[in-house]
Amino acid sequence: MTPVESGGDDSLYAVRQKVYVRSVTGWFATWRWTLVWATQILFYGLPWLQWNGRQAVLLHLVERKFYIFGWVFWPQDVFFLAVLLIISAYALFFFTAIAGRLWCGYACPQTVYTEIFQWIEQKIEGDRNKRIKLDKSPFGAQKLGIKGAKYGAWIALSVWTGFTFVSYFSPLKELIHEAVTFSFGSWELFWILFYGGFTYLMAGVMREQVCKYMCPYARFQGVMFDPDTLVITYDVERGEPRGTRKKGVDPRVVGKGDCVDCGICVQVCPTGIDIRNGLQYECIGCAACIDACDQVMEKMSYPKGLIRYSTENAIKKHWGRKEIFGHVLRPRTLIYGGILAAICVAFLWGLATRAPLRVDILRDRATLAREVDGGWIENVYRLQIMNMTEAERAFEITVSGLENIRLEGGSKEFRIPAAAIESVAIQVQIPPDAARPGSSNPIYLEVKAVDDPSVFVREKSTFLMPN
Amino acid sequence: MLKLIQVLWPSFLVAGLAEILFFTVINPQELYLLGTPVRFSPLATYSIGFFGFWLVCAASSLMTLFFQRTADEINHPEG
Repeated sequence: MTPVESGGDDSLYAVRQKVYVRSVTGWFATWRWTLVWATQILFYGLPWLQWNGRQAVLLHLVERKFYIFGWVFWPQDVFFLAVLLIISAYALFFFTAIAGRLWCGYACPQTVYTEIFQWIEQKIEGDRNKRIKLDKSPFGAQKLGIKGAKYGAWIALSVWTGFTFVSYFSPLKELIHEAVTFSFGSWELFWILFYGGFTYLMAGVMREQVCKYMCPYARFQGVMFDPDTLVITYDVERGEPRGTRKKGVDPRVVGKGDCVDCGICVQVCPTGIDIRNGLQYECIGCAACIDACDQVMEKMSYPKGLIRYSTENAIKKHWGRKEIFGHVLRPRTLIYGGILAAICVAFLWGLATRAPLRVDILRDRATLAREVDGGWIENVYRLQIMNMTEAERAFEITVSGLENIRLEGGSKEFRIPAAAIESVAIQVQIPPDAARPGSSNPIYLEVKAVDDPSVFVREKSTFLMPN
Repeated sequence: MLKLIQVLWPSFLVAGLAEILFFTVINPQELYLLGTPVRFSPLATYSIGFFGFWLVCAASSLMTLFFQRTADEINHPEG
């Protein structure tokens, strides 16, 4: 947690504090904040969005239906969820192979919430030196006030985050009503506090320890790296030997490299490592050290990029931008990319051709077969018809596969409410001479939407003849 | 503290996964508790299910931690 202190308080390095503040306004910091805004507007905003007169995105646990914009997903659609997870995994592999831990540095909730919590901390307690001083100062009314304000703001944000999280699983409208009248369901309240509590713990207290000790991805990300992967790199050849020097002195004349050893790259690092020691598994790729170092280089009138995105090969072979980008396409990225693209296409195709109707046939187990009027033989079936659209729909059931086969009372029409499953019993009858006694015969049941003949399901079942 | 995290954290991750898989396949309203249908609200069943999974997984993590101790650590706990 505590970054390594840099040595010396030479006048040149008195600007350290300023650079630290400015580090959050660098090019990469802007990108990080853009991602914080984008992901959080999405996260906090999505439950408020309406669609077809309901919450646009609602993973309704009680109804066991996932509403996502125009789609309604059922437990039977778990296939899509599985494919989505595979896509996420391959996307992670793909981006990691190209440019390291992009996910960790810019989009991971752990990074994003830590960033927000740190911003609150900085606004209330002041910059790094003020915070160090405050923590060392004796306990008093002022310290209590400042700390209280910070913890208060953190708790408020955490509770809001927990509330938002739960609103993805329980309708937001009901939650708001419950919040206003303070009549939360006990489990809903529990999960709001549970998720909120974990947000507080992870972003306020644990921070980089989550990445270092708890994240499974951090442990195996190394296997996706190769010598052409873009990672945050300290240019040892250019920087060493590091050391202090007077401004305006040519470092080569005093036998030094470009690194002025100000230690700011260490101070801005959220995981507290020294990037100058080379690539380390703790590095989450946030690029804060790049922003910080570039500002120092500018101040010293040295070229920027002593710490920069580069590859192992590029540093070793002194490649420029063109050669680095020329090596982005290589077998590893092409294979990851190819698989990723193929699965994405399959996923979209599956989604586009997903039938809005599903039928399950169960034979009635009580009576296998029986004789009815006129010596006809009857089998009873139970059809589970799922109307997966958000409008009530009429379906017609027909039967075929045996001579003179019929439904009792002719073809049947059933109205199934929007996004609902209905169980329908049907009696199928055949003349006694249509099949051999004791035989089991394939038949076909067809369920077709009355308003759209292209929406139909044809299911095979068996018709049993008694001995 | 480290041991606590080592027990509770991996089990939390696996319990989350188990919860999703289990309740995707099984409707909580179709479960039976000691021969009678479960009468808790779905939300309660999901929640209890999650903590059940967590507990089981944590027990497994605890065993792993226990078996990782060397003979020396077991025989000379004070050393």
